[in-house]
Amino acid sequence: MTPELTDYIENIRYTSKLGGSDDTGIIGELETHIEDKLRDLTDAGLSEEEAIRACLGEMGSPSLVARQIYEAYSQGSWKQVMMASLPHLLFGGIFTLNWWHHIGWLTVLLILICGITIYGWCHGKPNWVFSWLSYSLLPVLIAGLLLLYLPKGWSLIVIPIYIPLAAWWLIHILNQIVKKDWLFSSVMLLPIPIIIGWFLTISPDGKLTEASLQQATLLAPWIGLSFVVLALTIAAFIRIRQRWLRISLLALSGIITLTLVANYTQGHLSTAMFVGLMLVMWGIFLVPPLLERRLRRRAELILDKKRTATTKID
Amino acid sequence: MYGYQIIKELEARSEGYFKFKEGTLYPALHRLEKSGLLYGKWQKLPNGRQRRYYHITARGLARLAEDRTQWQDYLNAVKLILQPGQSHL
Repeated sequence: MTPELTDYIENIRYTSKLGGSDDTGIIGELETHIEDKLRDLTDAGLSEEEAIRACLGEMGSPSLVARQIYEAYSQGSWKQVMMASLPHLLFGGIFTLNWWHHIGWLTVLLILICGITIYGWCHGKPNWVFSWLSYSLLPVLIAGLLLLYLPKGWSLIVIPIYIPLAAWWLIHILNQIVKKDWLFSSVMLLPIPIIIGWFLTISPDGKLTEASLQQATLLAPWIGLSFVVLALTIAAFIRIRQRWLRISLLALSGIITLTLVANYTQGHLSTAMFVGLMLVMWGIFLVPPLLERRLRRRAELILDKKRTATTKID
Repeated sequence: MYGYQIIKELEARSEGYFKFKEGTLYPALHRLEKSGLLYGKWQKLPNGRQRRYYHITARGLARLAEDRTQWQDYLNAVKLILQPGQSHL
């Protein structure tokens, strides 16, 4: 295939966000179609260059074809809807029923979540795994908070090591997800500002005291409700086919839920904190696409270098 | 039939009237396949390449009959409107 045709196919492959056998199947069909068409056009008397131009014109723009491929494959089954919304519902349930202060229940829930996340991650990263992954970040966050309780000298030594390590791990995970589709990184990160918002309301200094536990008991139904909103968002996200609608849904739901958090906390969440959390929420929708663009540029550079090397050998 | 064959057949039968962006055929075929109206099968050609041939299912045939009746009714209605001198107004 010529560089123009390879670029066309690669553009469709990249934008349609397919993976695995779906990708190989439909891309293979497009390649065969292009080869057949080129043969017919050159048999009809067109030069190779003219044939390529005519063929690409008649195939349709890569973004149009990719969007239709995306919409043909993006809708998840009801089983996926159930799996994707389950972790949010579990957390919603644990707060609505006020079981959150039983360390046993929380530990079982976190172990279950980490187990299912590892299973999903190792079995092809299905679309439902990303909402489980959000809560798998919690043990990392909890471990970081527990470091605050270490004797003062130890905290000063351990925290500067722990934070870069945790950040490196998070970026590594984000890179992996962005290779599939940046939108799933946003799905994964969506509950984080909401969890931080509730945590800062309950415990503004970052430490859990008797007063903060009482505050958590009072707010538990509203905390539960915010997780239910997340579950409904993810359920709708899995069923929607159109990409722009998916992005709008996540952005709107995140902002509305965060506004609800600020509303129910009745002044416990300061304006500065709210603005900070809103910025974090916007970061969730800006950082992953930027990361994806960077990875794509790197991949294109590698492809260009390979082409240059092949031309030199020829 | 395979994708390219479908495009050529459509163009020939409509005498060149129906020409659409050819790349969009495959998402449409895959949607129909997901709905169980078609099924696709890869076949290896003598030159080693692979081609995906599409076949209509029993459900697809039933749906085709339904849609064909609807289109026929629509066509008849349009013909009646366009026929000159039939108006009672």
